[in-house]
Amino acid sequence: MKNSVTTSETRLRLFEEVILPHLNAAYNLARWLTRNEYDAQDAVQEAYLRAFRFFDGYRGGDGKSWLLEIVRNTCFTFHRREKRNVTSVVFDEAAHTPAVGLPNAEEALVEAGKRTIMQKCIEGLPETFREVLVMRELEEMSYREIADVAGVPAGTVMSRLSRARKRLEECAQGRNMESDK
Amino acid sequence: MNCSNDLIEAYMDEELDPGPSASLEEHLLNCQACAEAHSRFRTQKANIRSAPYYTAPAQLERSVRDALRRAVANEAKPAASILPWRWMAIAATVLLAISVSWNIHPFPRRTVENDLVAQNILSDHIRSLIGTHLLDVPSSNQHTVKPWFNGKLDFSPDVKDFTSQGFPLIGGRLDYLMDRPVAALVYGRRQHVINVFTWPADPTLMAESHYSRNGYNAIHWSHASMTFWAVSDIAPTELAQFKNLYEK
Repeated sequence: MKNSVTTSETRLRLFEEVILPHLNAAYNLARWLTRNEYDAQDAVQEAYLRAFRFFDGYRGGDGKSWLLEIVRNTCFTFHRREKRNVTSVVFDEAAHTPAVGLPNAEEALVEAGKRTIMQKCIEGLPETFREVLVMRELEEMSYREIADVAGVPAGTVMSRLSRARKRLEECAQGRNMESDK
Repeated sequence: MNCSNDLIEAYMDEELDPGPSASLEEHLLNCQACAEAHSRFRTQKANIRSAPYYTAPAQLERSVRDALRRAVANEAKPAASILPWRWMAIAATVLLAISVSWNIHPFPRRTVENDLVAQNILSDHIRSLIGTHLLDVPSSNQHTVKPWFNGKLDFSPDVKDFTSQGFPLIGGRLDYLMDRPVAALVYGRRQHVINVFTWPADPTLMAESHYSRNGYNAIHWSHASMTFWAVSDIAPTELAQFKNLYEK
């Protein structure tokens, strides 16, 4: 692909044409990684600005993977910043804790059903598992594409996916048993 | 053939070449254990895919486009900033939209008085961001900000700094709310601004309450006979976290 960008206006138009259409994919990944809509929006906006700065380094090809790599790194930077700055917990702790001993949480889970159980279980996965799972199952990306984004070999993507699914199965079973009581 | 979960998963992820894929399909017909594993994975995949796909909110595309335009404008002429009237126009639109829709959907435990205060607080927060009057005393030092209010108010506001917790004090200003002068303390959170309004409490407005409108969140609490309102466009959880720091 020819990438001889002359003025910033042309560069912006090209960027909007090639990279902006992946906004939903960017937001979905950021939303799953940050686990809240506010951080996700901040992360996506910052990622787009970074992407625009690095746009000269984009050599054509899959714009989605290229963008998602930046989104993912931005989310992880946000998260590290949070961990450093924050003494109390930002994330919804209840969502990441088994519902044992929380009668209201149990009732809520029964009502919300499998969909919520799966959402909570995915949110409870470690980041490295969560990102590959979201990219595979919700973005329907190939191992190769996921490997590019996560910066690991395709074999590692495969084994992380496998472990993520195993954990999800255990988590969903645990949650189902909680709600069946 | 040797059947394994890895192979079944790769097959379901459409990562197998046609040859291996065909032999696995054949194997699944003849091996009950593998067929069961396959069926388990298929159910799980359907469950996982029932999890939400979060699509970008409409205003995110607008704000990304705006941010990109600004980045280009800054590249073109690094010294010049965007004309202030454009900001004024944008902010005025936001203000209008909020003043129209602020009244609906009250949260529980609110009072009519609190709703009225909340409306005023939100307008004030937005006005502070539009104009030139965010800070009368720009300082990250609480020992500079607190004495500045001496003689300007009939009370002495509680000024704290939370830089180490990610909410740096930026400064303060004198403001006028509900027919009385109040202290407005300004804090930062990443690129966001938090306004904290405080004045001696009216005993009828003691209950803690939360408000959320048009992407802005406000939280109200009382402490040591003072009333506090924190308002910002950061997440409610972060605002609550800020309030907890403040109360300590």
